[in-house]
Amino acid sequence: MTLSQAEFNFVSQLVRREASIVLAPGKEYLVEARLIPVARAVGAAGVSEFLADLQRRPDPAKQRKIIDALTTNETSWFRDREPFAALTDVVLPELVKSRASARKVRVWSAASSSGQEAYSLAITMQETLPPGWSYDIMGTDISTEMVKRAETAEYSQVEVNRGLPAAQLVQYFERAGAHWRIAPALRRNVSFRLMNLTAPLPVMQPFDVIFLRNVLIYFDVATKRQVLQNVAKLLRPDGWLFLGAAETTIGIDDNYERVAAGRTSAYRVRTGAPAGAMRRG
Amino acid sequence: MSVEVEVNENDLAEMVEQVWESYLDPEGVSPLMQTYDENQASEVHSSVSITGSWTGHVVYASSLPAARRAAGAFLAMGPEEVSEEDLSDVLGELANIIGGNVKAMLPPGALLSLPQVVLAPEATARYPNAHRITGVYGIWDGEPVSISMWQSRGDNKEGAE
Amino acid sequence: MTRMRAMVIDDSRAMRMILKRIVTKLNFEAVEAGDGKEALDLLTAMPEVPELALIDWNMPNMNGLEFVTHVRADPRLREMTLVMVTTESEQSQIVRALAAGAHEYVIKPFTEGAMIEKLALLGLVPTGANS
Repeated sequence: MTLSQAEFNFVSQLVRREASIVLAPGKEYLVEARLIPVARAVGAAGVSEFLADLQRRPDPAKQRKIIDALTTNETSWFRDREPFAALTDVVLPELVKSRASARKVRVWSAASSSGQEAYSLAITMQETLPPGWSYDIMGTDISTEMVKRAETAEYSQVEVNRGLPAAQLVQYFERAGAHWRIAPALRRNVSFRLMNLTAPLPVMQPFDVIFLRNVLIYFDVATKRQVLQNVAKLLRPDGWLFLGAAETTIGIDDNYERVAAGRTSAYRVRTGAPAGAMRRG
Repeated sequence: MSVEVEVNENDLAEMVEQVWESYLDPEGVSPLMQTYDENQASEVHSSVSITGSWTGHVVYASSLPAARRAAGAFLAMGPEEVSEEDLSDVLGELANIIGGNVKAMLPPGALLSLPQVVLAPEATARYPNAHRITGVYGIWDGEPVSISMWQSRGDNKEGAE
Repeated sequence: MTRMRAMVIDDSRAMRMILKRIVTKLNFEAVEAGDGKEALDLLTAMPEVPELALIDWNMPNMNGLEFVTHVRADPRLREMTLVMVTTESEQSQIVRALAAGAHEYVIKPFTEGAMIEKLALLGLVPTGANS
């Protein structure tokens, strides 16, 4: 049994709208194969029943599951490179000046998934901060399973092949049976917790740098705005926000301004719009 | 002192998953489905031998159609175009990849042989003085494929062989 | 712009095919060798040195580590980027290969995407080719 044309169209419109992913016609079998486990996980009788139900009653969580299933696990180390290069070349040198008395940098990997971004940030800190400095990386995700997986800090052979320079693999990982585990020296600076970015956020110390990448694409404009406002409250006034390459605050939340950061751009809270003032709107 | 084998069925299953994801089923539409049937038939097999901190063999066995399909995936050709030489080369590389990864999980000091390919069924007789200690047995698009580890007898006693 | 060249060194023809497909996709011209010795002989005969070599470790005649050592000792081959592509995946082996002069290390099995990402790290993927 393969998907009907109408079902395929529904799915391809959904992923195009929500994630800018184009499914080529002729991939019906692929879509179906990927959606079978999703349908099973939500207790639907089959893929057709799952899609019919979703068409009748749109559900963002289920839509996200479809998008996740159809986007091959994009869990590379140092994903997109440029934001990490911007940290090394622009952001950290500046923070080293402005935080000279505290000698500490706090970074948030929002929607940390299986943890590659959080640990890539830790490697970057480890290699860029001067001696005597410390750093905290916090990763958060909406999925308990992902938080657990990130805390385990173990990655398969195939996973460590993805975008991780070999020199860093041998320096920051140790072999654990069939897997590679992040070395304790790195792990002790990284923690993970469960968090829903669209709900009110818990009280936390603000961050110097926030990576909120490829998250907003899943939300409608009102939710995007809500998330950006939540995040602004946790960004230090002179802190830096990094979004995914296809994401922006422009036209959604005017309290941020886009600034160049190396070969990419980052977002900073406009002067005169301190974090506390961003509740309006 | 006995040497613990640190490789189990889950490790083999993970390797299988990675080999499928990398070469045999990059789109993720046709995984190996477990049958748990260690007596399933095979028509061809390949193996690498490991000696040193652990001594034994890592064996990849399948039906002929599954082997042709694997070769086709590696060489980007239809299963019907696959020659005997193609089959032999691809089966050898599969045993090499899986065996190499098994070796990395063993205590230091293990050596890997070059692969051997036999276009005949897997049989206990081929590995005298060895017994199967673990394996993953499955069906790939209706055809049997298995990956198993055979430990040489006497290997669990230090210095024996 | 002239095409870059990649030498694919592996005793398995199947693996050479996989690697050739990937580098060809990245617009390299591929040259094949079945072991380190054959690769060195080819390099001696080639008027221009390839930009990249993808090198298996365990091969008859001359293994990949020996090949890397030879290349590093030869001033004519200094510019070549060396990537080990092997099932050898113990931490100590990776350290050995990097110390001998390999620039990167890819563990088999690897997906096409992973190989392209590694080559991108080395600046060998033209922008736009990676997706």
